[in-house]
Amino acid sequence: MNLIYTAIGFFALAALLGMYLLTFVLRGKETPKAIVFSHGPMAVVGLVLLIIYITKGGPNPWESLVLFVLAALGGLYMVSRDLTGRPIPKALAVGHGLLAVAGFVLLLVFAFGE
Amino acid sequence: METQSFWEATTPQRPDYPTLEGSLQVDVAIVGGGITGITAAHQLAKAGKRVAVLEARRVGGGTTGWSTGNLYVPVGPYFHHIAKTRSQEVANTVAQARFAALDFIEQHTRKYSIDCHFARRPWYFFTQEEDMASTIEKEAEALQQAGMAAEFVTQVPGLRFDSVQRAVRMDGQARFHPLRYVLGLAKAVTQMGVQIYEHTTVVDLKEEEDHCLLTTTQGTVTCHQLILATHIPIGIHTVQTVAAPYRSYVVAMRLKSGAYPDAYFWHNDKTHHAITTHSTDSMVLDMLMIAGNHHKTGQASHQEYQHYFNELEAYARQHFDVASVEFRWSAQHYRSGDGVPYIGLTHKGSKRTYIATGFYADGLTYGTVAGIQLADTIAGEGSPWLETFDATRGTNLSTVGKFIKENANVAAQYLKDIPAGQVSHFADINPGEGRTIEVESEKLAVYRDEQNQLHVCSAVCTHMKCIVNWNNAEKTWDCPCHGSRFMTDGSVIEGPAILNLERKAIDPKTGHLLESGGKTSGEREINNPIT
Repeated sequence: MNLIYTAIGFFALAALLGMYLLTFVLRGKETPKAIVFSHGPMAVVGLVLLIIYITKGGPNPWESLVLFVLAALGGLYMVSRDLTGRPIPKALAVGHGLLAVAGFVLLLVFAFGE
Repeated sequence: METQSFWEATTPQRPDYPTLEGSLQVDVAIVGGGITGITAAHQLAKAGKRVAVLEARRVGGGTTGWSTGNLYVPVGPYFHHIAKTRSQEVANTVAQARFAALDFIEQHTRKYSIDCHFARRPWYFFTQEEDMASTIEKEAEALQQAGMAAEFVTQVPGLRFDSVQRAVRMDGQARFHPLRYVLGLAKAVTQMGVQIYEHTTVVDLKEEEDHCLLTTTQGTVTCHQLILATHIPIGIHTVQTVAAPYRSYVVAMRLKSGAYPDAYFWHNDKTHHAITTHSTDSMVLDMLMIAGNHHKTGQASHQEYQHYFNELEAYARQHFDVASVEFRWSAQHYRSGDGVPYIGLTHKGSKRTYIATGFYADGLTYGTVAGIQLADTIAGEGSPWLETFDATRGTNLSTVGKFIKENANVAAQYLKDIPAGQVSHFADINPGEGRTIEVESEKLAVYRDEQNQLHVCSAVCTHMKCIVNWNNAEKTWDCPCHGSRFMTDGSVIEGPAILNLERKAIDPKTGHLLESGGKTSGEREINNPIT
């Protein structure tokens, strides 16, 4: 379970930075790129740890993985839009966050639930 | 002392070309009216193509008119390095292509009677340091293998340098006035039917299945093929991950003695200096130029920008009887990973968009090579240089280290974009000074002019959103990621950015941002000095 706990730590940090970024997107401001390029890699590390955990077999948080992968795809799409000068759709940013939060909650339930 | 290019200051008259208004249909559209674009236009017109050149400012007024003026076969990254990163065969082709470019310039200078002070002269490469002698030897050997007449010599005539450890000489290089040459060639191409448009900024470009469509500030151009002869292609291209922007500096001086040596000299000690001479208004040499001090664009400190000029001047005074410093300016160049430019289709899936970049500080010769090669390719005549300069070759094992280093450097620039709160206020900015500050979660590029007027733009580069840095030597905003440069009013000077920095309006009493900022456009403003 140590892998899961470490993954939760990275996802939690990514979530904090993500919420901060969301405030910029919702206000129509340029996102600070140091935060963008910290948020993404942290979430990727969490995702990689989760995948490593799953490859070891046993009961697995498949639902979380699917939600995180979808959120990651949305994140990549938003970064590509942002860097190429196209506005980030606010609904997409919120949806990306909701997917990730849902995945995170399910992961917490998996790790700490009965 | 204000920066001013010697070439710009010594060009007596420039024809005016119209601005494109309305729609236009041609075989080939060339974006950029510098040496690459005008050479390509010449060759394409000769091949019977209908050609239009779209220049955002004035013909030759971008990189060509602000270049370091080099016209020779040798290259900054060295042929022995190219032989290592690619192959000796590639190095040979590069040398032969550059040799052919010198001949091309000489022939067309004569053919069109262009008054650009063209003359042949030797090139010397020497060192006073024993441990640098091997570099000279390896380069001489690489040049000889490429069929160039490089020979070792014991003396470097015309200079007062003691104890030269190793020196090589190569005859048949050349000097010219690049801006006069390009303007002369532009005049010739208009007589061949090429349409040249100035003050015509391309703000959007698309490659479709059977044509390319360019949108300019006041018109559109439809074409079969498109050449982006803008030094680095404008917009976002994969080549920007392998072509890194650098600046170098030039100081031009008069000598008390009037004894101007008629040659190029590369002095290769711990620091590399290029020494050359040129003439203002005739074939008589009357100006000494020292060039050097390269650094990545947008990545020098405020003190360093002035230091680069001062160091060149001090070097000149140490070795020459300097009477006065007449001009000083800075030039941009792009470095490829393997030392060879990228000339050709912009990516493997592209069929119609051609680029030319990664020239190092050897762009006048490479611009001519690129113009000839691109025109030959488009005209279907084939080119023996195609594979050597292939723009889609990316990186290889011997250049992967440099690729990682340059791109890690870009990533590091992005990581500097930290929300820091308002670390300084408008009042902290002195007249003549520029600073990036943060107001209401927005990074602003703020310049206070000598009349105490504030000029406020977004500090977010319109190319790929790095934060621009202040260049106090040239009073410009320089992007440290991909080399876009902007005037204090936000208008694009050069680099891959298409759109100007977004202008911002502030309430002078409260210092708050006002809702009604300025619009972002690609139009080059009239107060841009490079017009």
